[in-house]
Amino acid sequence: MGEAKPLSVSESETKLIGSVLEFQFPNLVNCPYEIKSEQTDEYNCVAWAAGDTESWWWPIESDTAFWPKDIPRILDKRYFIEAFKTLDYEECGDNFEFEIGFEKVALYLNEGNVPTHMARQTEIGIWTSKLGQGWDIVHNILDGLAGAQYGEPRLALRRPINK
Amino acid sequence: MQSLAADVDLATEQKFKRLTDQWRKETFLSSSSTDIVYHPAYLKIIGMGKIVLPLILRELEQSGGHWFLALSSITDENPVNPDDAGKIKKMKDAWIQWGKQNHYL
Repeated sequence: MGEAKPLSVSESETKLIGSVLEFQFPNLVNCPYEIKSEQTDEYNCVAWAAGDTESWWWPIESDTAFWPKDIPRILDKRYFIEAFKTLDYEECGDNFEFEIGFEKVALYLNEGNVPTHMARQTEIGIWTSKLGQGWDIVHNILDGLAGAQYGEPRLALRRPINK
Repeated sequence: MQSLAADVDLATEQKFKRLTDQWRKETFLSSSSTDIVYHPAYLKIIGMGKIVLPLILRELEQSGGHWFLALSSITDENPVNPDDAGKIKKMKDAWIQWGKQNHYL
């Protein structure tokens, strides 16, 4: 699992980042969350969900992003599922609940069913997300990031721990 | 040899900065490369053509950002090793080196 560079800014800067995030993701106001990493454009939420902090994952046709070999570079949830199957994940519908013995990721879709974001469940059942070219955060519930920016968490995938 | 950056006029630089600021602000929290490179401001920057190459490369060097599709679209070149697709640091280094070799930096 890739390691993120821990956040090392002052308390006032952390509050400022928090106010930016709560403006963009209003549900965070009522969802406990914590900013965990420095800002970076070197990896994104999909990479973070996959445990990779050295690449930017996205199914764009041009070779400006990583995407697993032989998985179509088409912006459709089917190919996100296929991509995570290469990491031994399987679909588990909309079951985002914590299950002992499994690790989970969640795929957010917008109103047009287009993938926008992914989050990964931690070993204590809360969620961690990389916010675009911004920071990693942990958030207690998936709905903390639901809204206009990312849409809704719609699909869960899981794999047995230690695979 | 003098950098080609010296040839960029003030109006072009101001327009580039305005579009770059808009692009960064509106795509900062997006993980979608699709949204990032099809953003209207990004497409306008590509439309400005070769004159902005020194500005893009300087911006990439100083502030980072996903400028790679703009650079390859404008130059019709790609110095990035195909195995490094998505490895942003390596992609950035390859383009900075290309910019220096071609006197844009």
